[in-house]
Amino acid sequence: MNQDISGGLDTTRCPEIVKILSLGKRSGKLSLSNGSQSGSIFFRDGEVIHAQCGALQGAKAIYELAVWTSGEYRFSVDEMPDAVTVELSVDEILAEATNRIRQMDRVISLIPSSTIVYALDPEIKEKEIVLKSIQWKILAQIDGKKTIADIAQNTGLGVSDTMKVFYTLVKSGLLREAYPSEAESPVDMVELPETPFIKALKDDLTRAIGPVAPFIITETAREMNLDLLADDVEQKAALIETLSSKIPSETMSLKFLDSMTDWINTEDI
Amino acid sequence: MKGTIKDILKISGVHGYVLARDKTMQIKLPSKHRFAGAKKQIKLLYDDLIQARKRPGNTMEIFFEDLVLTIFTSGMTMLMVLSSTRVNLALVRMTGKLAIANLAKEKF
Repeated sequence: MNQDISGGLDTTRCPEIVKILSLGKRSGKLSLSNGSQSGSIFFRDGEVIHAQCGALQGAKAIYELAVWTSGEYRFSVDEMPDAVTVELSVDEILAEATNRIRQMDRVISLIPSSTIVYALDPEIKEKEIVLKSIQWKILAQIDGKKTIADIAQNTGLGVSDTMKVFYTLVKSGLLREAYPSEAESPVDMVELPETPFIKALKDDLTRAIGPVAPFIITETAREMNLDLLADDVEQKAALIETLSSKIPSETMSLKFLDSMTDWINTEDI
Repeated sequence: MKGTIKDILKISGVHGYVLARDKTMQIKLPSKHRFAGAKKQIKLLYDDLIQARKRPGNTMEIFFEDLVLTIFTSGMTMLMVLSSTRVNLALVRMTGKLAIANLAKEKF
């Protein structure tokens, strides 16, 4: 029972390997790799004592590794960690891992890969959307260029947890898949001119509807055939008024109107 | 919130306004304005608009040859802004929306 073991994660997933090593009361290091990602789980007499996957450590790292469906694994006997980060029993770990796999299967049916790039969808169907702070954290990172994996790395969340948040955002209708041309090149449509008016417009609209604001401004100006650089009060007022009608919350819409009416009156008239 | 009727009146091209709620109506227009004596017709318009509860939106614009009526409604309150056709209508709508939101909160 002392020899190293190895294989593919497409046939044997991480929880099964953990179960086998636990039943065999093994000690050593289970290394897993999946493309550019890698992780490891350490065992002492069949108990899991430490795990690492990217920036994640402990049980969170195991749950991240548990959902991998491709890649390689290798178990090296008697390799011990410097730290102990897991204090759960193998049964507890496996129960939660099974739960995570079940959730992940549902996520993958909608988001098949962490290499997908999403962009904000300006066509919001719901009148009002309530976001959790974790959803906002992810939403603030979405720029039509970064993959889910990139965002997971930036936010310090695991890829699977990030995918779960993406799942909820896609389900809410806030995101759409970015087209390859959008993903490859900078998203020109969210690069707004740096005039005082546009800056005020962007700041106030961002307060009202969040990071999608620059996109909405560009799209609205395009729909209305307006030149964002034109110094025309009528055009500015028309843009403000149309944008205010796109704010789902009436209170926020009035706040936006209030602030921008003030701006127009003091700066332009 | 700063949107008031006074702010609307400051907009160049605005002639005046009509404010109506229930049976009360306040008309502020130059005495020679052709709508200054049109209380009865405005009342009929008010009754029609307020009764039509399923009407989408709360801002209407009625264009005449030489003037525009911009009407804002909220609940039982109606604010009608009368202006020239050369007025910055978007600015009227912006300020009017704020004003009607404030008026709807007030007691007459």
